[in-house]
Amino acid sequence: MEKSRSGSMNFPDVSVVSTDCLKVNDLSFTYRSWCAKKNEPILSHLFCTLEEKSKTLLLAPFNTGKSTFARIISGVCPKYLPGSMEGDIQVCGKDLAYTEPWELLLTCGYVSQNPQEQFVATCVEDEVAFPLESLGLPQKEIAHRVDEALMQWGLEALRTSSNQELSGGERKRVLLAVQQAINPTLWVLDESFDDLDIHWRSQLADLIRKEDNTVLVLASRYLTQFDDLFDRYALLEEGRLHFGEKQEILSSFSRLCDDDLPNPLINQSISLKKEHMLSCASLTTERSRVSTLETNIFTLSVPSFSLKSGELRTLVGPNGSGKSTFSRLLCGLDTPKSGVFSLDERVVGTKELNRNVGYLFQNPDLQIFLPTVREELSWSLKRRKDLKNAQIQEMVNSCAALFSLDLDETPTTMSYPQRKALQAAVYYLLDRPFYILDELDNALTYSTALKIIALLRRNGAGILLITHDRTFGSLVSDQGYAITDGVLGGV
Amino acid sequence: MQENKNALKVAVVAVLTAVVVVFTMMVRIPTAKGYLNLCDVAICFIAFTFGPWSAFIAAGLGTALADLISGYAQWAPISFIVHGVEGLLVALIVRQKGDETISAIKKIAAGIVCVTTVSMGYFILSAIFISGFSVAAAEIPGNIAQSGVGVVLGLAVATAVKRAYPPVRTLAW
Amino acid sequence: MTTNTFVAGDAFLYHFDPRAKLLSLVLFCSWFFLPISLVGLYGVVFSIILLGSFNTGVHHTWRTFRSILPMLLFMVLFIPFNVRSGESLVTFGTFTFITREGALQAARLGGRFIGITYVCTLLFATTPMTEVMLSLRWYRLPYKASLVVTLAFTYIPFIADSFSQISESHKLREAGEETQKKNIFKRLSELLPTLTSALVVALRSIPNLAMSLEQRGFGRTEKRSMYHTLNAYTHPFTHFMLSIMIPVVLWVLCRT
Repeated sequence: MEKSRSGSMNFPDVSVVSTDCLKVNDLSFTYRSWCAKKNEPILSHLFCTLEEKSKTLLLAPFNTGKSTFARIISGVCPKYLPGSMEGDIQVCGKDLAYTEPWELLLTCGYVSQNPQEQFVATCVEDEVAFPLESLGLPQKEIAHRVDEALMQWGLEALRTSSNQELSGGERKRVLLAVQQAINPTLWVLDESFDDLDIHWRSQLADLIRKEDNTVLVLASRYLTQFDDLFDRYALLEEGRLHFGEKQEILSSFSRLCDDDLPNPLINQSISLKKEHMLSCASLTTERSRVSTLETNIFTLSVPSFSLKSGELRTLVGPNGSGKSTFSRLLCGLDTPKSGVFSLDERVVGTKELNRNVGYLFQNPDLQIFLPTVREELSWSLKRRKDLKNAQIQEMVNSCAALFSLDLDETPTTMSYPQRKALQAAVYYLLDRPFYILDELDNALTYSTALKIIALLRRNGAGILLITHDRTFGSLVSDQGYAITDGVLGGV
Repeated sequence: MQENKNALKVAVVAVLTAVVVVFTMMVRIPTAKGYLNLCDVAICFIAFTFGPWSAFIAAGLGTALADLISGYAQWAPISFIVHGVEGLLVALIVRQKGDETISAIKKIAAGIVCVTTVSMGYFILSAIFISGFSVAAAEIPGNIAQSGVGVVLGLAVATAVKRAYPPVRTLAW
Repeated sequence: MTTNTFVAGDAFLYHFDPRAKLLSLVLFCSWFFLPISLVGLYGVVFSIILLGSFNTGVHHTWRTFRSILPMLLFMVLFIPFNVRSGESLVTFGTFTFITREGALQAARLGGRFIGITYVCTLLFATTPMTEVMLSLRWYRLPYKASLVVTLAFTYIPFIADSFSQISESHKLREAGEETQKKNIFKRLSELLPTLTSALVVALRSIPNLAMSLEQRGFGRTEKRSMYHTLNAYTHPFTHFMLSIMIPVVLWVLCRT
């Protein structure tokens, strides 16, 4: 897509002759700490140079400073993410110390890993138009670019849909359409391939190949679409960037992700106190799904389902296939239209399901509300009348040790994997006989996710893992369920 | 370089406005007579945490938008004024420098002002513009109950949020 | 939770310039407070309701009426307390229950209330929110103010969504504890965890939103252009004239 960049002609963005698009010199960054403990630097003495029109793949496990780095080079950190930063950065000849983020609109475009946080408009077409309006482009030009970008990413039918009506993959496509409409010099794509179908992944790969922009792709998993796409490979380790040959980087990366550690679920010894069995037969449910296009009734039927103590089962299926509809029934948040659940051959209602099935939502922040890990973990225990204070203390301490949590930290400011571990620890202490884990592998390395599953299963809980990642599903269990055309069946 | 915080201000006010709308529309606690909604909880939280301007705009705009969305557009201007002033006054009373805790006297004063503003504001404005004095007078007790609960719960929530999410301090302007 | 107030349709109010519609909203709302005859008032209210049914459909008109019905009943019930002096209509022995003045006053208040309700509802049912905002900007509403409203509308569904997930997740976490009937204070205090989590989730999104705004060029020195325009409305002058003429003519006809 060749653009007439009228915006950039009036306001020259490239002012220095350098052929390096990005130059990072001795960058260190430490997040501000909100408790007594000092934070470790997340980036330390990092050097990076990207030549013009180069395509670079930067691999980094989750939560090792990848997105922080991306935000620093797009100018919004430390402005909005308080911390102390040293070193200097030039993007297309602009010194970031003297540049506001909006001045980088045509220079450095960042596509976030989490699309929800980047939306600023009420509907898809307005989202694409917003940055073009900021550039002061004439209305005709904006309309032209919006149409083109929406067509490229298959979003015409969703023009007037709001963010909340879109699936994860559609949101990613909207952000890519925005990026393409702006067409900045440096593209920083943070996990942009995730959640995309094969078709859109290869379109994105083609786009990266063709456009003569400088591209930096940040990823925490190597995908087959990456083959032959990049001319440089880098690894982010201990706050530093290492460049190297593809094979070398890939093998250090898999070591860094602990992929070589043994799977803790294989031959795990579990202590079963009492055998339980949760099952249902010929269950059906309906839900009306409202979208701008049409209101259609979504139906799900479950011919048979069962989960025993100590069992691991997966529930695999694409987005919107009804996985979460079924989980909500299973933990008693919704009631089925027909059919019942039974626990140990006894029919149970929603209240009993609430008590017996723990549902770990995808977002760990939904439950956090207390200032320290200690209070968060002891909250539910303190409300039980059968426990003495000393007992509670002991349970909390041993649980925190198991999940490697620091009792005095503030949950809301901990890293994502730690918050996820805290969420699991809260449920571990509730000691439910069954757990549903919703997209646990999202933004966690396989190894961390497997560790959490192993801990929850330790006392013999039966576990249903919901995922759309078949690779991860097969690591957890070879037995499971899948939803095809509204019917849940075994695989 | 003079730090330009316009985007932060817009973001703060927009998100807080949305919070007021959601608290007004989502949580309805059934009581003996009708419903109690939590808009005053959100407003007092904002006033205690974010200061007068954010409180004025978010409270006024949020309740007005909630009226509009629920199909009571005729109430929107009155809600805007009453709740906007409520947020503004409460925030002005409890405003202070630094991180010191708010004294009990200030809290009580804020509570009284909040309840008075809401009950009298609705009484006067709806008496003049909408329903006449007798009907407006009959609604005073309900408004007192709702805003009273709002102040108490709002203060509790504000304390809890400050402890649970320390970075909230960097957002106030 | 839906934030939509627009009712799809194609009748003439949908093709009326939204700027003119806003003006007539203001004029009509003031009109109801002018000294006008009661017959004139109800005549106008009746025509507005007819206009509404013709444009947005009978169902929507009835729904609007149902939403204000409790308030109207309330007004009727309180007639006895309105005006105590004057010619009595209903008496219990020597006690005057309803006076003529009281009843007339209630009738006027009720009519005015129905009228204002329908005028406001009609504007938002026949004009998409983006066009209301565009018109307000045409009336010199600052860009930042309209941006705040638009962003609030963007964030309402997100916060509502997280709010319901949060209350469900707290409900599951606390399942199994005492189940006896709780009084209102207990119920309120149990809301505290949910409200705190909900606020934290909302507050966390603020820096992200601010970052995105700046990354999308908010703050640049260029004059912002506009993707949406009101150019599709081709007769603004005629519509403005109508918006002014109709209330004025009605005022001349109905004044007392």
